[in-house]
Amino acid sequence: MGPQNSYGKAKNKKFAWKEFRRSIKPYAWPIVLSILLAVGSAMSGLFIPKLLGDMTNVAVETYPEIDWGIISSKAITVIILFCVAAALNYAQGFILAIVSANYTKDLRTKVLEKIGHLPIAYFDKHKYGDTLSRMMNDIDVLTTSMSQEIADISLSITTLIGVMVLMLTISVPLSLISFVVVPISVLVVGKIAGFAQKYFREQQATLGILNSKIEEDYAGHIIIKSNSYEGAALESFAETNQKLTRAATLAQVFSSLSFPMTHIFTNLGYIAICVLGGMFVIEGNISIGSIQAFIQYVSRFNRPITEVASTVSTVQALLAASERIFEFLTEPEEEPDPEPALMIQRVKGEVEFHDVCFSYDGKTPIIRNFSVKVAPGTNVAIVGPTGAGKTTIINLLMRFYEPDSGYITVDGVPIREMKRSDVRGMFGMVLQDTWLFSGTVEENLKYGRPDATLAEIKRAAETSNVEHVVEALPKGYKTEISEDSDNISAGEKQLLTIARAMVANPPMMILDEATSNVDTRTEHLIQDSLENLTEGRTSFAIAHRLSTIRNADLILVMKDGKIVEQGNHRKLLAAGGFYAELYNSQFAEN
Amino acid sequence: MFKLTRFLKPYWWQVGLLLVATGGQVYATLQLPALMADIINNGIVPGDMGRIWQDGGWMLLLVLVSAVASFASSYLSARVGAYFSRDLRVAIFAKVLQFNMVDMKKYSTASLITRTTNDVNQVQMIITLILTMMLRAPLFCILGLVMAIQTAPEMSWIIVVGITGVVVSSAVILSIVGPKFKIFQGLIDRVTLITRENLTGLRVIRAFNNDELERKKFGKTNEQLTKLLIFIDRILELQNPLINIIFNGTSLLCSWVGLSLLKQDFAYLGNMTAFSEYVTFVMMSFLMLSMLFVMLPRANVSAGRINELLKTKESVKWRSETKGVPEKRPSVEFKKVDFSYPDASEKVLDDISFRAEAGQTTAFIGSTGSGKSTLINLVPRFYEATSGEVLVDGINVKDFSKDDLMQKIGLVPQHGVLFAGTVRSNIAFGAPNASDEDVKHAAEIAQATNFIGKMQGGYNAHISQGGTNVSGGQKQRLSIARAICKKPDIFIFDDSFSALDMKTDRKLREALKPVTADAVVLIVAQRVNTIRDADQIVVLDKGKMVGCGTHRELLRDSEVYRSIVQSQLSDAEYRKELHGATK
Repeated sequence: MGPQNSYGKAKNKKFAWKEFRRSIKPYAWPIVLSILLAVGSAMSGLFIPKLLGDMTNVAVETYPEIDWGIISSKAITVIILFCVAAALNYAQGFILAIVSANYTKDLRTKVLEKIGHLPIAYFDKHKYGDTLSRMMNDIDVLTTSMSQEIADISLSITTLIGVMVLMLTISVPLSLISFVVVPISVLVVGKIAGFAQKYFREQQATLGILNSKIEEDYAGHIIIKSNSYEGAALESFAETNQKLTRAATLAQVFSSLSFPMTHIFTNLGYIAICVLGGMFVIEGNISIGSIQAFIQYVSRFNRPITEVASTVSTVQALLAASERIFEFLTEPEEEPDPEPALMIQRVKGEVEFHDVCFSYDGKTPIIRNFSVKVAPGTNVAIVGPTGAGKTTIINLLMRFYEPDSGYITVDGVPIREMKRSDVRGMFGMVLQDTWLFSGTVEENLKYGRPDATLAEIKRAAETSNVEHVVEALPKGYKTEISEDSDNISAGEKQLLTIARAMVANPPMMILDEATSNVDTRTEHLIQDSLENLTEGRTSFAIAHRLSTIRNADLILVMKDGKIVEQGNHRKLLAAGGFYAELYNSQFAEN
Repeated sequence: MFKLTRFLKPYWWQVGLLLVATGGQVYATLQLPALMADIINNGIVPGDMGRIWQDGGWMLLLVLVSAVASFASSYLSARVGAYFSRDLRVAIFAKVLQFNMVDMKKYSTASLITRTTNDVNQVQMIITLILTMMLRAPLFCILGLVMAIQTAPEMSWIIVVGITGVVVSSAVILSIVGPKFKIFQGLIDRVTLITRENLTGLRVIRAFNNDELERKKFGKTNEQLTKLLIFIDRILELQNPLINIIFNGTSLLCSWVGLSLLKQDFAYLGNMTAFSEYVTFVMMSFLMLSMLFVMLPRANVSAGRINELLKTKESVKWRSETKGVPEKRPSVEFKKVDFSYPDASEKVLDDISFRAEAGQTTAFIGSTGSGKSTLINLVPRFYEATSGEVLVDGINVKDFSKDDLMQKIGLVPQHGVLFAGTVRSNIAFGAPNASDEDVKHAAEIAQATNFIGKMQGGYNAHISQGGTNVSGGQKQRLSIARAICKKPDIFIFDDSFSALDMKTDRKLREALKPVTADAVVLIVAQRVNTIRDADQIVVLDKGKMVGCGTHRELLRDSEVYRSIVQSQLSDAEYRKELHGATK
């Protein structure tokens, strides 16, 4: 979770509050209704102690010939009242449960859709974990604290006011005595809650630091061992751990103090009522049943006060969560597709870069005045040192990013004037990062064309040399796999992504070749299937393999965002320029 | 869960004090209703004002006692809970540091992290809860019962009714909802999974225009989750109203019965009020205990996972001092070494024997799963040979003390591993006393000076957690510099050059030569180019040694080696190589 958790304070409370209110608007009526129900439930519950006290009064007054008629009618009223209170309470809880479940659903859907609409740049700058925690933790905090607060606050305030009114009707002086306790109690508890919040925040922050330490040390386990670093690692761990322990103790102390604190105040009130009430009864100012009722009311004071006092911190958590959610939801989205958009009926595969310039941060240019024309069916290999801008070319082609100036055309049509989905539909992509989603092999293979038949899938698997791998799996094409599944190797995953692109059967291909960690036999298979894949298609490959560059029709040699040389392997080698140097250092024999 | 209570041992006297404080608090709180009854019965009814003042004074005293006791118990429970989990975390962390690779594999890093963080938090939560509420609840329950029966024995059956109501209603609700929680967790996990996939697979999803598909997939799970949530809540929301009915019902019952007993004894006037409060206390404590039943299973899972980890016997025991006389020059020797994972029948390494001398490079090649990484990890005892001997400087690795053995080894793992700190602190990681010159020299050899120079602060530049602010290749070069800086007798490179481009790879190996002149060098490699100059190459296939010799010899004699070379070179080059070898 890290330090971005809901114990934090919202930086922009106004924004957080405004967006929260706007998003909850569709549920305004059910919420109002549930508040009314809560108020009704609290009010009907309120009269019970008074009626019980009345029962006592009747008994005492008519003693020793107790008038059971009146008493039982009061008892029946009590039963009706608490049943009504319970029914209203349930209705209120029920409505709120539906509201909060649906509200959660709405928010989650919005976040997921937002993920689909944000530019790739956003995710290149923000960690996945951060977005994930907004989706899971923050939405959870927001909706639970919302429904909890709505119920608690309306119940507490009604109870508090109702109890006060009823107490006043029983005895004004006794009421005044018990009311003195309220503001003091709220003040003290609020103060304590503030302290608790502070240390909770400190605890969460330290926990974040400790967690990353643990993560790092476990991941670097063998390095720690082989360098005899265990002692130092343990020491530094213990240091942070001690800090955490201190913060955790204080946070816990303060948060557990609020209960006994209010308890003390209400108990003091209780004593005062017993003593002074007793005095009043002796003096004949008040009946004994009223004292009984009064005592019950005083003890009902306890909970609402704690509730109201703790509202501050819950609302803070709510606002912090709300801010993080809506901050994400209001991030600027990708520019909408042009209307009307241009379309290409049959893609021939002629791609041209016209004087394209690009930088990620608006400062450091990555691509400068890049121009090239690629004829249909050409296999293009892009080579160059790290940081030359090879990956950027692919980002621009796929419109993951837009050029700062210049433009790209396919068959003469500027891709900027097309729908993004149409542009991306023209290309198949095989990336280094062999991403597979959790699902069956079949589902993964037809990811690019959901209507593909099993026969087509099998054919693609065959051409991609992955058929026997799949068949060796326990359930063949129906085997469940996932990104981190270990029933298939990295090389086999690579083959599956090739087969996936093959099933989609796009007119052009983009390849980002993996650099390493594939055994030689699989490597052979991958090469072979890549050749099958690019056969007859315009293709762009960020090349790391000797075979790719040797077979390429056109090699683009990039350096510092520019094409410094272009041509085929033999021509470039003969020219003896940058490419020759690169080739000799990277691929050639001694 | 209860096995972990041993971690409370060092704090036994604090726990004792806590018990006393809680007892005091409960006792004082429970005396209040009795005194109130006394005020009604012996003060108000006979009109004795003195008695009322006297009782009031006692009440005040009790409130003060309970205040002091509750402060003490708040502090003590917080402290004990925090220190308990502190010790638990240290114990787990220290344990994991002792693990070797077999142990690590058994758990996976992710699971180890969860155990050290989330699981401890879960346990801490429940321990604190037990120390605060659960200690109080049984005390309240017992003392409350005693007091209730004392004040109004004829009314005690009401307690039974009340408790039955609370227990039955909680049990029914929990038994309906309980099983659904598992499904609920499963759905939550699935929502998380889909979200994560949408983030990690962002480019692929967009490339295939599959936003709509993903949205539908998500929508389906989201809908299921919502429906289940509403179902669960619909049942859970019954809890509050039901409990309220039970509490109010018991109050009414107390009044009714109390009033009907008035004829027998007028003292019931005060007693029934006190009794009604005691019953509330008792029922409350039952309610709290039922909460424990909700939370305990979850904490129990965590506690079980922690216990399992703590109970793991380390597979490697180290001597405290090295036994034996080392040879003069560094060497590594394998004698008929087998390795298999515990409980696995298949051998990962089968009958491996070779000797690597100082000043020589020994390389290991073979396809994935051939066991080459496992093999070199036997040298620092990250894995333990199942049979046979692994000798370093002529001494069995089992006879070394840990630090003596590690001192000799400079290990560069497959993936560059860095730690939060500076460039310098990372390079000097294995040699804390290294001078600035040593660090610079190591960086030079590792071809790292160029990018270090470009980093803000140079050698003092900040490295973030896990080295995320440098690239893969840079990480790898810093890892190599770290091994060089240590000046070890044995260098182990576990496929360490693959993240480098071939140009850097070559320069680096060239620069390494003088440093490794007196050291044993073990290299695992994928690329034939990286190892063609090695003094001996060990070819592995499915855990067996299928060849050992120089590049030339192997080309001539080893079928497996030839096929590896062939796959990496063009036909013409391969023919040239072959020709050169047989000449």
